[in-house]
Order: sequence, then structure tokens, then C-alpha cells
Amino acid sequence: MEVFYTIPVSIGKKALGIWAGIRDFGNYVKSIGLSFKSLRYLRFRSLYSTVINQTRFTGIDALNFVVLIALIIGATVIIQAITNLPKFGTEGFIGNVLVIIVARELGPLITALIVISRSGSAIAAEISTQKQNREILSMEIMGIDTRLYIVFPRIIASILAILSLIIIFDLTAFIGGYVIARTTVYIAPETFLQTALDAFSLKDLLATFIKSLIYGILVPLICCYYGFKPRSKFEVPIYVSRAVIRTLFTIIVVNVIISVLFYF
Amino acid sequence: MNENLLKLEQVTYTSINHDPLNDVSFSLARGENLVLFGPENSGIETVLMMVLDLDETYEGSILYKNMNIKELDYVGKHNYKKEIGFVHGVYGLISNMSVEDNISLPLEYHSRMSENEIKKHVSRLIYELNLDYCKKFRPVDLSSSEMLRTSYARAIAMDPELLLIQHPSEGQSPLNIQSFIENLKERADRDDRSVVIVTYEPEKFIDFSDHFIMIFSGRVVFDGTRNEFLDSDNRYLQQYKSGSSLGPMAIL
Repeated sequence: MEVFYTIPVSIGKKALGIWAGIRDFGNYVKSIGLSFKSLRYLRFRSLYSTVINQTRFTGIDALNFVVLIALIIGATVIIQAITNLPKFGTEGFIGNVLVIIVARELGPLITALIVISRSGSAIAAEISTQKQNREILSMEIMGIDTRLYIVFPRIIASILAILSLIIIFDLTAFIGGYVIARTTVYIAPETFLQTALDAFSLKDLLATFIKSLIYGILVPLICCYYGFKPRSKFEVPIYVSRAVIRTLFTIIVVNVIISVLFYF
Repeated sequence: MNENLLKLEQVTYTSINHDPLNDVSFSLARGENLVLFGPENSGIETVLMMVLDLDETYEGSILYKNMNIKELDYVGKHNYKKEIGFVHGVYGLISNMSVEDNISLPLEYHSRMSENEIKKHVSRLIYELNLDYCKKFRPVDLSSSEMLRTSYARAIAMDPELLLIQHPSEGQSPLNIQSFIENLKERADRDDRSVVIVTYEPEKFIDFSDHFIMIFSGRVVFDGTRNEFLDSDNRYLQQYKSGSSLGPMAIL
């Protein structure tokens, strides 16, 4: 009988905990909004180096890995499409399959996952360590708005890096994937190119742009939020892990929502 | 003496996480230098925290140039923090920046100086504090003396009217701290700039200041001049200076 009481109680506690977390995150976002008040006092030159370093780390340094994954994904999808579509008499839709699977879904999602696991975790760990070393406190005492100085340039850098990486991912998956796929099956290049171009629409471009914009905002926003959280060194790995897992979850949910809004 | 730069009026504070304060009042005139001391957990760190506006849940008021800092709005607080300098006890240098980048940071963020002017100003500070040989080093490569001097250079980069220094002598060799005090004295001698030193070793700063305040158990137990600090028969002060376990202060 006790189970009838304990299950609802624990569900209720969990729900309240989630709600408190969402409210706390909301307050954090609001505080960043309020920080924009001091934009007119801010000299943007102090943000340049953070934007450049973060863009380099999130974008350029991740390029090798993104290209490699894009080649593997592109080749796999093309090989599967070329070998399986004729069974259904739909070989003419190879371009559509590529656009739907790679450009619309896998490209943005896998790029975001790579960025979260590389840069998101690094952002959370860096801020946590800075907090423990009293670096954040020093900045606040200096009159530096840390929300603006730490979060804002990382958002700009992430948007630039994610948008560029998604474009590179899609192009590599299409072109590189085709080249790799040619080693196992044959499809005329002009046929491949034409079907891919026919299947690609302005809506796909817009969806990619919106996804990169939203991911670019959410990844640093959530990771910085958890980076500011630890109150002792002991809590640093806990919050870095939370930053990665919860950003991953949020991005997957957001990806579904955008896809539903655009294509359903 | 000039008008008050900083004034604490009946500041009372209670918290689980920090040492409490009980009706703390004192003032600091413009151009005056102050040594604030007391044993651990006496409340000196809490006073510093309040003056730095890191907590507002206290009773009473803290006035900076006759403005109540608790009542300042976002922009007011921003300007207040621009006008004060702080040297943290653990230095608080930004670990991914070099010495010169750390010193440039407040200027890059706040000042209207051009890049060239900032560079010149920072080079002058680096030269004066003998940091030239390590200006490209990151904090991880610095000794505690170099970190103290870098943190000090960063704190005075904006030429603040009020400079607060937390435990400068901790972890420093006597020679280093003497050389640091000599540097500090140049600033402390100015009529328009004030320095507050929070320390456990007030006797090291005897030539530096004419105003000494001792706090124990959240209360001001001594407030006097240099001569009074040297000659007073205040029982708290006597016990503190002698380091004896016998006296009004129960030291655990």
C-alpha cells in the first residue's frame, strides 16, 4: 500500500525540482537580458579575443572531426539509398533522401552533438574552474558584467561556428559521400547532382539557418549556466556532466520541434 | 583632512556562510589610508565583502562619496565598481590571459583610451612594478610575488580613488612585501587616493597608514591613529599584538 503514496510523492518532488530548475534558468536568461543595459558602457574590443578564440576552438579546431563524420554519414546514406531505393522503384528520389536525412536532420544534429561534446563541455569546465579560482569574482568586482563578458561573446562565436560547420558538414556529406559511394556502386555524377539540387528548397536553407541560430544560442547559454553553478571544486565534474547531458537533450527536443514546425 | 570617501554606519549582518557584523561604524576620509585587522573569523572579510557590494543583506548603510551603495541602480553600481580597485587575497588573475592582458583587462573593458594609449599605460605599470621579464607569462608560471604585483597593477590600472587590498603579506617573503609596501607608499602618499589594507599583520604596515581599526567578533574593538596603535593599552589590541591566548579574545 505504501507504494501508492511513495510513487506520487517522488514524482511530485521530481516535477517540483524540474520546475525550480526551469525557473532558475529563466532568471539566469533574464539576468543576461538585464546585462544588455550595460552594453553602452562596454568597449567591444574587450570581447574580440573571446569571440575569435571561441570561434577558432568551436569551429576551426572541430573541422577535421566534422569532415570525417560527414564523410562516413554521407557515404553510408548514399550507399543505403542507392542499394535499397531500386527495390521500391524509387531510385529517382535519391536526392530527396539525401536532403531529408542529411541536410535537414543529420547535418545540424550531428554538428550540434560534436559542438556540445567538444566546446560545450569545455565552456562549462572553463567557467567552473574560473569561478573556483575567484577569477569570476575578480571580474565582477572590477565592474565587468560577467554575463555579458563571458556568455555573450560565446553565443556570437557559437552561432558563427555552428552555421559554418553545418554548411561544411552538408557539403562534405554530399560530395565526399558521393565519391566514397562510387567505390562500391555507380551513379552518374550529373544524375546525383541534379536530383540533389531538385530536392533542395529555400525552406531547407531557412530551417538550417534557424537551427544553427538556435543551437548557437542554446549550447553556450546552457553550458555557461552550469559552469556558473559549482560552489566547490568537488561539484565541477557534476555540473560539467549535467551541462553536456542537458544540452544534448534540449538540442534533440528543439531539433524535433523545428522539424515539426517546418515540415509537418 | 578632506571629506569622507567611505563611511560605514551601524552595519549589522547575520549569515550562516559568513562572519557576522554587529553595529560596525567607521569612516575613511579622501586621501586617508586605513589598516583593518583582526583575527580570523572576526568579520574583517565581511566588511570587505560589504564594501565591495557582494552582499546587500545587511542593516545600516555604507556610503561612498555620500551615496548609499545599497541604493545604487545597475548603472550606479557599474560606475561605483569602476572607481574602486581590489587586490584579492588569492590574486584572482585570469588564468588564460598573460600578465599584460590581465593588467589591460579593466582598461579594455571600461576606458575610453585607444589601443595605443592602453599599451603605453600598461607598459609603464609593468616597468614600475618590475614585471617586464614576465609580461607574456600566464598566472600559472608566476611566483606569488609576481602574482601580487600583477594583481596590484590591474587594480590600479584605472587609477581608482579607493583601493582595497586583502592580505597582501600572506605567502610573501619579508623582502618582497617590503618592496611591495614601498611601491604602495607612492600611491598612499597622494592626497586624492585612499588605500584600505585588510590584514592579519598590521605591524607590517605601520609606516604606511595613520588609521588602524581592529574588529573582533563582528564589532570594532579598536579605532585609532598610528600612535594609539603603538601605545594604547586596549586589552584586545594588547592581546592581538602579543599573540597571547590570555585576554578578552577567546582564540580557538
